[in-house]
Amino acid sequence: MIEIKHIKKFYGARTIVDDLSLTVKNGSVFGFLGQNGAGKTTTMKMMVGLASPDEGSITIGGKPSSDLSARESVGFMPEAPYFYDRLTGLEFLEFCGELFQKHKSGREYLGILKELGIYDARDRAINTYSKGMKQRLGFAQVLVNDPDYIFLDEPLDGLDPLGRREIKKIILELKARKKTIFFNSHILYDTEEICDEIGLIHEGKLLYSGSVKEFCKGRSLEERFVETVERERNTTTEESVVPAKAEIHAPKS
Amino acid sequence: MKNIFVIAKNTFRETIRDRILYGILGFSLIYVAITVLLAKISLNDPVVLKSFGLAGIYIFGSIITIFLGVSIIYKELERRTLYFVLSKPVSRLDVVVGKFLGLFTAIILTTLVMTVVYLGVIFYETGVLDALGLLAVFYQILEMGLFVALLVFFSTISTPLTSTIAAVMLIFGGHSFGAVLRTAAQVGGIFYRFIQAVYYVFPNLEKFDIRISAVHGIAPSGASVLLTIIYAILYSAVLLGLANFFLKRKEL
Repeated sequence: MIEIKHIKKFYGARTIVDDLSLTVKNGSVFGFLGQNGAGKTTTMKMMVGLASPDEGSITIGGKPSSDLSARESVGFMPEAPYFYDRLTGLEFLEFCGELFQKHKSGREYLGILKELGIYDARDRAINTYSKGMKQRLGFAQVLVNDPDYIFLDEPLDGLDPLGRREIKKIILELKARKKTIFFNSHILYDTEEICDEIGLIHEGKLLYSGSVKEFCKGRSLEERFVETVERERNTTTEESVVPAKAEIHAPKS
Repeated sequence: MKNIFVIAKNTFRETIRDRILYGILGFSLIYVAITVLLAKISLNDPVVLKSFGLAGIYIFGSIITIFLGVSIIYKELERRTLYFVLSKPVSRLDVVVGKFLGLFTAIILTTLVMTVVYLGVIFYETGVLDALGLLAVFYQILEMGLFVALLVFFSTISTPLTSTIAAVMLIFGGHSFGAVLRTAAQVGGIFYRFIQAVYYVFPNLEKFDIRISAVHGIAPSGASVLLTIIYAILYSAVLLGLANFFLKRKEL
């Protein structure tokens, strides 16, 4: 289980994540949705140990996310990944795998590359890969340690429709193998298809966390997402206008 | 410990595939080879031959080290390749030490390639193996180790341009603080104390320069070799510790 309890993250005076709490059940696919700059990536970075929360705690499988041993069972794919360009795809995968205590054999790495459709490019330098191939390689390195918890930051970004379909298929296969998948996305159509639960974040605050069906109430995820975010935005604007009026009247009284 | 070697291996592999390395190495080999011509001009004086050869290995070794080391961690932070590494069970100290060892190994390898050519040229010209020249190269490798640690440290706190400027200044300063200190001793007072502080804080690269004595056949004592090795290891360890300190505080 992934448990986030009251985490806060500040960059200077700006609050990036504000008192966020949520729980992701084992074996489920959780879509973390929000606009650009909502705090999705920062939250994920805290979950995989790239950043640490200023307040609150995160546990993965009962271990604090800051604990190195917790990462033995974690796979993470960053958004728009950059690679060691002079390595080949296979060398990169081997490098990633060797960083874990328990890692796969050479044949298994080839199997992963086959699964992701980049086997033929295994011995080519990564700097010759297309954007879609790099995205697939980024996904491939997630699987090198057969993780129980998989974190994907915008996994479908930059992929063509066929590539998106393949990645979605793999996500569903991983789900069938009882893996817990947490992913960030702003492509809502795809999210609706593969998620059991979603979390909706806006300006660092969690607006909703629960099942997709319950959230959509018979409408499309995109429609409900836009409606919820706009409602929140209007509420925030009204709240910030009211004290301003009070300040104007204050000197007269 | 295993992760340090995995990162070192990856860094080494990346480094030796860098085209810049081969460009500079090519120039250095041409340079070492043409020292034969310089020797002919100086009536085959082996001192001239050895001086130019060892100086060439040092200059090109330093250029290669600066080019390859100046952005070793910085580019990983900028390009976010560290995301792949640090999201795995890898500590930031593993990254710092692994990057250091990988780059240092590549530097040792390129220095040895230049040294083999140098020793070949000397043997061809004089008929003897330049053992003291080899010791001078060993000292240079120690200096490069310290220098790689310095560059790893710089690349965690500043941009490649700033690091390059600082590195060049430190090479120059590190080889002249001894002379400056001797001059300052004659002046005395606060100025001397200031120079003394600078002398002890910044790396004293003069310790690693035995090229002049080597070409004249003067060997350093065993104790001196040992002290130089200890100095290089301790100074490098402190720099890597500082690099780890700053990298830990970096928000990715």
